[in-house]
Amino acid sequence: MSRTIISIAIAVSLSACSSLGVEPWEKDQLARADMALDSEKLDLALDDHIYFSKEGSSGGRSLAGGGCGCN
Amino acid sequence: MQLKNRSNISKALAIASCSLLGHSAQASANTEKPDDWKVDAAIMYYGEEDRVQAVEAIGNVQKAFGDESLLDMKLVVDSLTGASASGAVAQSETQTFTRPSGNGQYETASGETPLDDTFHDTRVQASANWAETLSPVWKTNVGVNGSKEFDYFSLGLNGGVERSFNKDNTTLALSGAYTFDAIDPVGGRPVAFSSMALRADYDTEEEYRAAFDMTRMAGSEDKKTMDMMLSVTQVLSRRWLFQANYGLSSVSGYMTDPYKILSQVDDTGTTQSYLYENRPDSRLKHSFYMMTKGALDAGVIDFSYRYTTDDWDLNSHTLETHYRYYFSGRFYGQVHLRYYQQQAANFYRPFLMAGDPLPEYASADYRIGDMTTYTLGLKFGQRLSGGHEMSYRLEYYQQNPENSGFDLVGQLQDHDLFPEVKAIIAQVSYSF
Amino acid sequence: MRKLLLLLSFMTWSLSAAPSLDYQVQNLQGELVSLTEFKGKVVYLDFWASWCGPCRKSFPWMNAMHQKYQQQGLAIVAINLDEDKVLAEKFLTKLPADFHIRLDPEADVASKFDLQGMPSSYIFNRQGELVQTHLGFFEEKSAGYENEIVELLKE
Repeated sequence: MSRTIISIAIAVSLSACSSLGVEPWEKDQLARADMALDSEKLDLALDDHIYFSKEGSSGGRSLAGGGCGCN
Repeated sequence: MQLKNRSNISKALAIASCSLLGHSAQASANTEKPDDWKVDAAIMYYGEEDRVQAVEAIGNVQKAFGDESLLDMKLVVDSLTGASASGAVAQSETQTFTRPSGNGQYETASGETPLDDTFHDTRVQASANWAETLSPVWKTNVGVNGSKEFDYFSLGLNGGVERSFNKDNTTLALSGAYTFDAIDPVGGRPVAFSSMALRADYDTEEEYRAAFDMTRMAGSEDKKTMDMMLSVTQVLSRRWLFQANYGLSSVSGYMTDPYKILSQVDDTGTTQSYLYENRPDSRLKHSFYMMTKGALDAGVIDFSYRYTTDDWDLNSHTLETHYRYYFSGRFYGQVHLRYYQQQAANFYRPFLMAGDPLPEYASADYRIGDMTTYTLGLKFGQRLSGGHEMSYRLEYYQQNPENSGFDLVGQLQDHDLFPEVKAIIAQVSYSF
Repeated sequence: MRKLLLLLSFMTWSLSAAPSLDYQVQNLQGELVSLTEFKGKVVYLDFWASWCGPCRKSFPWMNAMHQKYQQQGLAIVAINLDEDKVLAEKFLTKLPADFHIRLDPEADVASKFDLQGMPSSYIFNRQGELVQTHLGFFEEKSAGYENEIVELLKE
């Protein structure tokens, strides 16, 4: 009996996790170019470079890449 | 959402080819037919009031090979001029400092923050990245990057894998990078905590030179960095997505800034000597980042928060947001706000006391002290025919260093040891 | 225990409605038509939307397949899933289709097919049985897709 309950609980929680999200045909808004996580990548790269040079911490959004002698 | 989604696990088809993490979703309604090439270029000016000025130009080219491979190449050239704070404290007297090369010196007027304007440097950076779709649920990427400036050389490798779940609603990514940096400072790297040789203290040029050379070590230094990042991207709804990243970075090697010094002052706050700084040779950093991005009817908005902590005890919080509004189908305006707050590294001190024993590590570089920064930016973008886009960005960046609890002795109380640094950022971009 | 198992199996059975041609969709005039009208042909059913990048690439290929194999009994049916018909029409003015276009704006049929991604294509043989499913459209794989069609046309 307890094994049944546990397996149902796992199945339900997995399906709850998997239920977060949308169907493939509902991705019209997310498919917009301005919704891509790397849209404005040059701005983000330039910003990262500025803040890496002028502040004591870096990274977070992506791998802190590209060494430079400015910090 | 109904349970039906679970029933087709056995079919093992789990993705949408319109992927989440950027690459293939080029669904702009203006392009006639999909283009293999995508070029982005930008030129940026960064200027601090009375201090550093830099110009940076970036060119980025993306070429798709079929529908499963993408090559991304980037070239950056930047040029730096102007002065930056050396770490020495302001005094009521004029101060004279020796340049890093030992050839010549510069003066700072009374009451002014000592700024070293020796640096005029140009840096070139190039990187190439290859992304490959291996299967409906697996993607991988590998890249190489390198940069060179007068006194600095860097070479790095990076790679990553992505796995998507639940019809591409959830994506897990793991990436890593290894970077090797070699530093060959102008004048040779300084001996840690050695006292700056000042020409005025010696009778002859030879004696001065000998003393200067005693503060120098020959050869270059290097630094190795290992980075790792775990990332989860999740579609929350039709309009919102979310990303959370954990990053771990381990750096070992020479991390001292060879051009920064500390003033050693007596009880009256008067400088007795200038010592070259010394930082630890290892650093372990953690970063926690979360962001959410929303597709609005006439715009886009994003919010992000980042927390970093490391074994130098430098902790930081960053809050950032971008809000874009489309005035028309072709013209948009965007506001950028960023708030950053950091807590000083444990070896940061604005100056040293002459009587006290020397600590193991010390640096007066305000960039690792207590500090709050604010950024306010405005950007305008125009979509032109043929899928081209032009944008202009203007930002104001202010850094407010703060005293993390040091008693200012004697004359130091008469000066602003933590001056604000104000900068303007202006950028023009073009993509097609 | 047994009741629970019965309930679970009933739920999974009723919800896993399989892909087939026994569904109704709209035509461009807004009338309800059944996909069974294509029975007897080799049917290449493709679910697309105006905002989907790879769909843009698949249209020229589907036109080419229609040209080549229509006479031999290939029916290409592209079912649009845009909520707003206007978006589909705009897309079709830029990329006209020689093959059949149908609409499923409420995604009823798409749900029954349990699409895993966009675009998705389903190939049915002349008997109306599902024989192949493809997720996404990849230029590199289009020769393979064509071979599958050719094989089925031989039957």
